Amino acid sequence: MSHVDDGLLHAYLDGELSPAEAQGVDAHLAQCSECRRRLEEERALIARAAELLALAAPPDRELPPFRAGDVKPPTRLWWHVRLPLAWAATVLLALGIGTYLGRGVERARQPDTTAYAPPAERRALDARASPELAEKESRVKLRGSARTPPAARPPAPAPARAVADSIAPLRREPLLARADTPAAYAYGERAADSAARITHGKASQDERDRWQKGDAISVDSARRVLGVDPLVVPGVPIEAFYRGRSIGYSGVVIVEQALDSNTMIEVINARSAPALLNEVVVTGAQPVRSRPAEAAPPPAPRPAPSPGAGLFHDVRGPLSADSLATLRRLLQPLRP
Amino acid sequence: MPQDLAEIYRTTYRALVRFLYRKVWDAERAEDLAQEAFARAVVHKPDNARGWLFIVAANMARDDARRAARERRHLTLLTAEPQASEPAADDALHVENERTRVRAALEQLTPRDREVLLLWDSGVSYEAIAAQTGLARGAIGTTLARARRRLVEAYEAGQRGEHVARG
Ligand SMILES: [Zn+2]
Repeated sequence: MSHVDDGLLHAYLDGELSPAEAQGVDAHLAQCSECRRRLEEERALIARAAELLALAAPPDRELPPFRAGDVKPPTRLWWHVRLPLAWAATVLLALGIGTYLGRGVERARQPDTTAYAPPAERRALDARASPELAEKESRVKLRGSARTPPAARPPAPAPARAVADSIAPLRREPLLARADTPAAYAYGERAADSAARITHGKASQDERDRWQKGDAISVDSARRVLGVDPLVVPGVPIEAFYRGRSIGYSGVVIVEQALDSNTMIEVINARSAPALLNEVVVTGAQPVRSRPAEAAPPPAPRPAPSPGAGLFHDVRGPLSADSLATLRRLLQPLRP
Repeated sequence: MPQDLAEIYRTTYRALVRFLYRKVWDAERAEDLAQEAFARAVVHKPDNARGWLFIVAANMARDDARRAARERRHLTLLTAEPQASEPAADDALHVENERTRVRAALEQLTPRDREVLLLWDSGVSYEAIAAQTGLARGAIGTTLARARRRLVEAYEAGQRGEHVARG
């Protein structure tokens, strides 16, 4: 069987092959140590290229408000003409969107003055809000959420047994993160809800954007992209695997796990510049493909790359930092 | 539609800026162009907004480069004075040097290889890259493999060149 060419290896490592194609590559890799060696070289090359590109990245700035006036004349703000349903979303668009974490009951009572406040003014508002107030407000907000029409809130099933004990204490927190689902919009989310989400979401917003979430992929693909088993919180149902991106990381997989029907966490698995990097021979090297592989002596068995080496892990979700840290400690490799 | 665009703005804005930055090499300008691309999306309401944004951004960057070239010519006519460079802190200087090296390495790629690499690095999938560049989907991996290898080679050759020049 012919060797796997570079293009196919890159597509494989980028998680861009169809399951059938990827299985074909797997089958060849299983019986060809030459291609396994090249696989690691190409993996390191991909990481190196990503690292270089990261050196030429623009400064990482906060997501700015949307400036619609560039094209349309600043007739106040263009979304004024779009009514209730689109409303919340467009305000979010204007101000930067975040994960709703619960806050802002004060502002809820005066949507007319705050929702249209220009961003600078809004920031001033935020600056005044003390953490204590925010905490209090979030509790109030939690009660307030009981007014949400039932259809928007599916009944909470029992949490996954295996981790119920360790997670149970976490679940007393306001878990309203799902407010950013379309269902929430459909129920006429009010201005203040949006405003609250925006104001509180800043920090988590940056966190989310650092790990851009791409297409859903299979668990096999996730393994290929990372080169090792992804870490997950054991016993918590896995909803999906996504390919991710982040500057300075060449392979990123985001695992979505459902603590309960309202609470989704995301486990970040990211391959940073690998230790293998200095083994990469790119300069002046002949393309590996052109080597007379058949004539090569039978390769000595290589030590497997140490699992987890160079891998970065994190857990994010609508939970407190302590809870997230707890979950992080629970992470275990997902065995096939 | 605005709701979709809001989500796309959130998830794509920075990627678009990153993509544009490697074309115009000016962060402010890249952000302005990204904003303009989104503003146009609000008006045009494209079906595949994400792909559309990258295509529009690529076009805008190209036009921008032409305009900048015209302005440079104009400037050279107006003044022959060299631009004063500001003294920079060591760190800033180092970052700037690295950026310059990577930029020089990127410029040694063919336009097509560079485009594919920049699109991928901005989070665009093989399929969308294929749609945008007109390449076959099956050619994207090969193109990326070559682009990555050339980028690293060109960067390292640049490093060596500097050492030779210094030593
Ligand atoms: Zn082989």
